[in-house]
Amino acid sequence: MAAHDHHRGFSLHVGKPGLIKGRTWPTHLGLWIAMLVILFPLLYAALISTQTNAEIFRFQLTPGTGLGKHFDQVWNDRALDRLMWNSLVQATIITVAKTVLSLLAGLAFVYFNFRGKWLVFFFVLITLMMPTEVMILALFRIVSDLGWKDTMAGLTVPFAASATGAFLFRQHFANLPRDLSEASQIDGASPLQFLFKILIPLSWNVIGALAVIQFVFVWNMYLWPVLIISDQDKQVVQVGLQGLQTLDTGLSFGPLMLAALMVSIPPAVVFLALQKPFMAGFALSADK
Amino acid sequence: MGIISSFLLAAAIGVLSFGYRTKREVALGLALGILGASVILAALDFCTFASDAESTEGVMGVGLAGAFAWMFGSGTKAILRKQEAAGLGSGEIRTGTFRLGWYWPWLLLLPTLVILVFFLYLPAYRTFTLSTKLTRLGAPRVGERCLSNFSELLVPSPAVVVALPLASIGLMWGIGLWHNRAEPGSFAHGFSGAIRPFGIVIFLFAIYYIFEDVDGGYRQIYFNTVIVSSAIVVVSMVAGLGLAYLTYGYVRGIMVYRTLLIWPYAISPPVAGILFFMMFNATGGIFAAVADNWFGFDFPDYARNATLARITIVLASVWKLLGYNLLFFLAGLQTVPREQIDAAAIDGANSFQRFRKVIMPALGPIAFFLLITNLTYSFFDIYGTIDFLTKGAPAGATSVAIYEIIRVGVDNGDLGRGAAQSVVLFLAVIALTAWQFKQSEGRISYGSA
Amino acid sequence: MLAAACGSDDSGSSSETTAAASETTAAASETTAASDDSAASDDSAATEAIDIQMWIAFSDDARLNFTKDRAAEFNAKQPGYNVVVTSFDSYNTVFEQAQLAIDDGNPPEIIHFFEAATQEALDATDSNGDPIFKSVTEAVAGRTEILGEPVVLDDVVSAATKYYTIDGSLYSMPWNTSSTVMFSNMDILNAAGITEPPTTWQGIEEACAAILALADAPDNCITWPNHGWWFEQAMGQAGQDLANNDNGRSGRATEVFLNSEPAIEYIQWWSDLEDSGDYVYTGTQRDWAGTAAAFSAQNVAMLMYSSSDVTIITEDGAANGFEVKTSYMPYDGDRPYVGNLIGGATLWMANGLTPEEEDGALAFMNFFSNPDNAALWHQVTGYIPITNAATDLLEVEGWFEESPNSAVASAQLNDAADTPASTGALLGNFVAIRDVVTIAIEDILVNNVDVKTRMDSAQAEAQQQLDDYNELYG
Repeated sequence: MAAHDHHRGFSLHVGKPGLIKGRTWPTHLGLWIAMLVILFPLLYAALISTQTNAEIFRFQLTPGTGLGKHFDQVWNDRALDRLMWNSLVQATIITVAKTVLSLLAGLAFVYFNFRGKWLVFFFVLITLMMPTEVMILALFRIVSDLGWKDTMAGLTVPFAASATGAFLFRQHFANLPRDLSEASQIDGASPLQFLFKILIPLSWNVIGALAVIQFVFVWNMYLWPVLIISDQDKQVVQVGLQGLQTLDTGLSFGPLMLAALMVSIPPAVVFLALQKPFMAGFALSADK
Repeated sequence: MGIISSFLLAAAIGVLSFGYRTKREVALGLALGILGASVILAALDFCTFASDAESTEGVMGVGLAGAFAWMFGSGTKAILRKQEAAGLGSGEIRTGTFRLGWYWPWLLLLPTLVILVFFLYLPAYRTFTLSTKLTRLGAPRVGERCLSNFSELLVPSPAVVVALPLASIGLMWGIGLWHNRAEPGSFAHGFSGAIRPFGIVIFLFAIYYIFEDVDGGYRQIYFNTVIVSSAIVVVSMVAGLGLAYLTYGYVRGIMVYRTLLIWPYAISPPVAGILFFMMFNATGGIFAAVADNWFGFDFPDYARNATLARITIVLASVWKLLGYNLLFFLAGLQTVPREQIDAAAIDGANSFQRFRKVIMPALGPIAFFLLITNLTYSFFDIYGTIDFLTKGAPAGATSVAIYEIIRVGVDNGDLGRGAAQSVVLFLAVIALTAWQFKQSEGRISYGSA
Repeated sequence: MLAAACGSDDSGSSSETTAAASETTAAASETTAASDDSAASDDSAATEAIDIQMWIAFSDDARLNFTKDRAAEFNAKQPGYNVVVTSFDSYNTVFEQAQLAIDDGNPPEIIHFFEAATQEALDATDSNGDPIFKSVTEAVAGRTEILGEPVVLDDVVSAATKYYTIDGSLYSMPWNTSSTVMFSNMDILNAAGITEPPTTWQGIEEACAAILALADAPDNCITWPNHGWWFEQAMGQAGQDLANNDNGRSGRATEVFLNSEPAIEYIQWWSDLEDSGDYVYTGTQRDWAGTAAAFSAQNVAMLMYSSSDVTIITEDGAANGFEVKTSYMPYDGDRPYVGNLIGGATLWMANGLTPEEEDGALAFMNFFSNPDNAALWHQVTGYIPITNAATDLLEVEGWFEESPNSAVASAQLNDAADTPASTGALLGNFVAIRDVVTIAIEDILVNNVDVKTRMDSAQAEAQQQLDDYNELYG
């Protein structure tokens, strides 16, 4: 929950990689080994997801006969679809809310002068050293006193704002040419019009980067939903995996692996889809 | 009596740590010192000075007031200095700002501030209050414990608790001083420079000895946390850098390689735990099966061996973090101009020298950034991995600080003790942030460009 | 938090279940469909059905489907009600979630608590000081029928009433009740020249020597999960109370006895068995699933487990090609045997329900354990038949002759002497205290620390837990 709070701007940009001269097969070999090592857990999980326990205990290295049943168990019986839907809603709400609130905060920090600005800045900055996890017991009581136990509000509102996002946009805006806002004011545009017409179109890379980080962060959230959600209809997918460990005799390896793989698809898709802005979004500071 | 001396001390420390060059500075220092003391004492319900409090608690109360006064004073000073350096002080004038009603910026900031106040500042404050209580989830009554939830975590001797950390900090400071005073090029300079990085290790050791050692004492949790998180950080960064070096050059299909290598970043900590649980499982896992069927020996069961269990946790976390580190190191490597590397090669520098002279400086800020993110990961996000992989077993060998907080605070429902452990972790995070802040002077711009 | 205490995991996978289990599986799809239909028709009906939330600690197919099927049948039968089953993966998780819900002030109507949580459920109050749960005996108020469902509360078998009766009546509705039993892989035992499973600790050591001497010996001889329940059972066998005031039965317990002489002896025996390689520790606390998997994969010849899975483990053995025999939990042959106790869980009903909700909850709980359902539950799992009527029904059907393994747990409980030690302890913070014992034993097994020293510190820690609890609730 806290990792996302450390993305700050520094100079990064994805340039053209250098060409390797001469023989390339050692590089290819190295890459293949690295790739096999890294992908092995996933490939192995994919194999297990098709096998029944008897097949696993027999140490069978070919696909087994259990895939259909496992899919039925996790998707239909245990409603993995609903769990994934809940996670999707939660991740979307937080991603959108955080982006919007961060844009507004960035706008206020860069395009307004006001008394006590440094104090507010300070106030927001300090929260970078306040990870939710260390106060999670007290947070639980506060959120449940609001009547938000087992609600989407309880899952999302506490995470709808972040210092990271505010600073990311603040820095990005500060690096844009000043005459943009001057021209816009001469045209009589309000700050919000300026934000939507001028700033956002210039910020898609940063928005994309923040979106990837936030989506993956929320989708992978585990500890908070364990506490705040007990109604299984409203549970999120990472916690739902808990209930898939023992469906059959002993450990239900197959269904658990299948679910683990399926759960990993949406964040991977978001990551792959937004890979370019994600990388480019961090090419922020000095050289722009 | 205790309260008065606390505030007097706090005011003095506030001024000393913030500055006393101008009247304004003195006033602000006074205010900050008193504010710091008030915040911590109010969060503790002033329990250290209650009529039934023990005298050691009173002393600790005064000490805490002083410490918070120092944190508030020197923290504000450090941040203000950064602000000034970045040209964004309180009275800054910039072109292109909107001149509308005073309420405009406040309206824009309102939602963010409200959420930060209610869901970060308030729970932080309440965590301190909770840590002084004996209370359980759903309990009708609350017992007062003041600081005993903390003293339970520490060795019984207050002298050791105070002296060890101070001595180690003093030692670090002394070495630094020696280094700075010594003639550059002299043996003393080289030697003190060489042992300087070990200061942090000495400090970590000192802290180790202030925690209670008896069965179920906090020392084991501290040990687990330090060992597991440092191993994760070191291994994942070294491996990430190596992999970045490998994927840096251009060969056919490099983008496919890269994408496949980076992808595990999107995998969740619980799923990482599940995948490694499967592979290393003694009954159904592939390593046990291969060892048994092909080589005829028993693959050691990580679940029964403390060291192996920690290694398995580290492997699962490294695997999950690797893609992320690769991504950033790769981007960092690509900022190094190709010509510089080539020039170094022409100069006859071998590849290690090239790496040290040209690449390491360029990667510094990114390595530092990754150090912090990886550390944060291994402090908090690791919870999901542990919960699916070892559940803290065997015999608590993989129960790190965050896992223990939930075990005590939620599984056992013991909110007060859980909150006390939260405060300990909180202090660790504050210390790390302060260290990060100090180290990063002039390296990373904190969004204040 | 993996599996529920006393065996929550495990059902047969559908291809390898008992006749009874596959009947329910078949029934499952029908009734699930039925419940969907009734839910749909309820929506269009003029009066809306009253929701009865039920939280259970089972997440395996067999137990969860059984519960959902009964709920669906009840909902079809009583259109005014809609019982909604929510599943959690273990007793500890339900307990933890219940504490969070109680803290929040919104517990479900029916909740499934394991025996260790009994005192805490009794003591639970809301912020106004009103109890969170209501005595089911009080709520039934002598009725013999509620909403047409015959009341079975007064027919519960004595082993369960003995444990759960507080101040002369049952506060909660007994449901799944089991005891500790031993499962033996008779193919391996026979190969080692052993015809009957051992009954004492000494017998286990002898049997293990023979089994591990086999040419194709399994990796280890025996395993069982590390769970405080085993410790409690061994204390029952030895006649040693766990707490003062007659194990908390004649007054609130204020002292625990974890480092008694029988306690040290039991854990020493366990630890020695592990050192010799006879016993294998799976390395995870409360590892029901892992130990069952080791037995099923024939990595061990014997498994001490909850009787909760007699049917499943027996059938699973057959599916993997070996014969499984169930026997009493072995005891110390050098010490007079007193008696084993129950484990399992009961259903607690929330306080402050409307009369309609309360009747619905009561009617469902009595329907849930009516003779047919209780007998089927026993057949699907291995928990003892919870009412005398269910036992009679099974006897008439000839079930126990057909599957003798299923009769072992009830017989063991009936053989137990009626003493506080073999009834089991009632004490505050028992869930955490159990944890203290489990962790101490794990420390002994894994780190080979001295048993007496370690149990002395466990004693101190548990006493602190109990003192804290009594300060808040006593």
